[in-house]
Amino acid sequence: MLGRGVKRKWSCLEELELLPGAAVPEEKRQNLAAGGGHDPSMSRLQQRQLVLSLCVEKLQHYQAGVELSLRRSVLLINTLRQIQEEMRSDGTGTCTPEVLLHGVDPDSYLLTDDMSVTCSGCAEGDMESLSLSPPASPEPASQDAEQQKPLPTAVSNTLSDAGSAGGYLSDLALDDIFEDIDTSMYESSDLLSAWAAGSLWPVTSSLWWDEDMKLRPAGHSSAGSLQSCLMDLNELDHIMEVLVKS
Amino acid sequence: MEEESDSRKINNSFLRDHNYATEADIISTVEFNSTGELLATGDKGGRVVVFQREQESKTQPHRRGEYNVYSTFQSHEPEFDYLKSLEIEEKINKIKWLPQQNAAYFLLSTNDKTVKLWKISERDKRPEGYNLKDEDGRIRDPSTITSLRVPVLQPMDLMVEATARRIFSNAHTYHINSISVNSDLQTFISTDDLRVNLWNLEITDRSFNIVDIKPANMEELTEVITSAEFHPQQCHTFAYSSSKGSIRLCDMRLAALCDKHCKYFEEPEDPATRSFFSEIISSISDVKFSHNGRYLMTRDYLTVKVWDLQMENKPVETYQVHDYLRGKLCSLYENDCIFDKFECVWNGSDSVIMTGSYNNFFRMFDRNTKRDVTLEASRENSKPRAILKPRKVCVGGKRRKDEISVDSLDFSKKILHTTWHPYENIIAVAATNNLYIFQDKVN
Repeated sequence: MLGRGVKRKWSCLEELELLPGAAVPEEKRQNLAAGGGHDPSMSRLQQRQLVLSLCVEKLQHYQAGVELSLRRSVLLINTLRQIQEEMRSDGTGTCTPEVLLHGVDPDSYLLTDDMSVTCSGCAEGDMESLSLSPPASPEPASQDAEQQKPLPTAVSNTLSDAGSAGGYLSDLALDDIFEDIDTSMYESSDLLSAWAAGSLWPVTSSLWWDEDMKLRPAGHSSAGSLQSCLMDLNELDHIMEVLVKS
Repeated sequence: MEEESDSRKINNSFLRDHNYATEADIISTVEFNSTGELLATGDKGGRVVVFQREQESKTQPHRRGEYNVYSTFQSHEPEFDYLKSLEIEEKINKIKWLPQQNAAYFLLSTNDKTVKLWKISERDKRPEGYNLKDEDGRIRDPSTITSLRVPVLQPMDLMVEATARRIFSNAHTYHINSISVNSDLQTFISTDDLRVNLWNLEITDRSFNIVDIKPANMEELTEVITSAEFHPQQCHTFAYSSSKGSIRLCDMRLAALCDKHCKYFEEPEDPATRSFFSEIISSISDVKFSHNGRYLMTRDYLTVKVWDLQMENKPVETYQVHDYLRGKLCSLYENDCIFDKFECVWNGSDSVIMTGSYNNFFRMFDRNTKRDVTLEASRENSKPRAILKPRKVCVGGKRRKDEISVDSLDFSKKILHTTWHPYENIIAVAATNNLYIFQDKVN
């Protein structure tokens, strides 16, 4: 089921172009990168933006079939958190739902996540238990082998992680984001509506293997409160580009 | 070895031995055994190559104990984890030798998931004169056997064979980053990102989890274990380092689960140098006890630190490995080099420490004289048996003739793995797929 792309409004585009460093072009990025930490020509803000986009890019990029290094993922996420903290304390950034979901294809997340995390092609009957079932863990020999856990699909793994990722990225204004979006197509499937209600960033889902992830309650602990989005518009756009690989 | 002669040697007199190009694969670990007679290398293809030092010969005194290939075997094969649809790399992450107790040699080698105990033994005799089979191994027709004989051992060409004696598997969900043999010679630990497991060398179907830093909710994970090592003398003590730049010392006598540390070593961050990369560069990539057991050495991205076990709040010595990279952290982050994990090593007397860098450079620091030297492991820049010339990186301003500027450094040539002979001034340095062995010059 493909997501219906939401068209960006023209006013939104104008805003983007006005912002400095919007959709940082490749050569400019290289200049910034070459400048390094102490380049006076690169302001802290510019560097922060660059590091943020690199962070997201690195987190999203992985080779299919090769397990990610947990250490690297943790370091990247901590850097991302640090930047988010800083941005929050700076009071920067609002996002519009249209920008956030521009060109988002939920299947693209699910497919890419599938590759690195779970066994592909496992199907489950009960939809609800799908979203709750934890991945079967590669238990160490010492643990009880009789404890059977249902095999999840990639989707459910994404969800259960997305649900808990909601706790991690709880400051994203998820309700806010989805206000304007027509989700009638998503609502036809329990899975996708649950996904839509959860975190938009299945960042952690593919990053580490939680061997004994417990059953999570159906009500995801995603952000319910209205808070301002942390990302700058231009960064979001860039991130969207990266994610959708447009 | 006397300290005076050590410092003199560090400065300018490392003789370069011939280098061994291991063909296909990138070397992922190097380790001398406890006598220095053997040197093991593991590579990305899962192979282990063991070198043995030649006996010193009176007829050729200048060929002072060179290392020759002794045994080669395939330690680990690539595996597939069907549950996660992921490949398990066969790359050898670490090799640790067991002290020699009989004629055979034993080593532990590990990839991301499985530790194996290998026995390397020599065979120079073979039995001949079997009754039931002939010399080719074909079964003899029993009706043709009219008399019995006792098989006799006959000499044969030396054969070195490696056999896997124990396989310690299925105990790690995450990637094993280190193994360490206990001084009791009966147990060892294997460490992954979140757990440390204690094994008995004789028992492969059980291991004891002694450290577990996995949070109940994985979303709360902010720190991983990067390395762990047993104390060289105290069999109940071990240390593990973290991605946040801290080291914890644990005593196994206090509790079954060593989640509570005995000592916690961390240096407070200098607010002046804080950047987006502060945490990443503080991540410790290697931790090593000194031979005398009084100090710990840690390697993070830019420095090597020596800690006194009695002082937890700061290291007693800090050495800058390549501080000129501090201004380049953003590019190093972009090309992922900032995640490189360098090892560090003590010399036999704990007076000198060594670690690798980029451009095939490696650095040595004399703890007593505070002098340091940068050397390069490359065929182009040194001829066999020539003395290594110290190198220098120019950090700005006018570049002198033999200096190399920071921007010309080759970041694809990194020396991550080094090892030092336990008694002598012999070092082995892995530069991608080449192994370099350096000895101090014969006086």
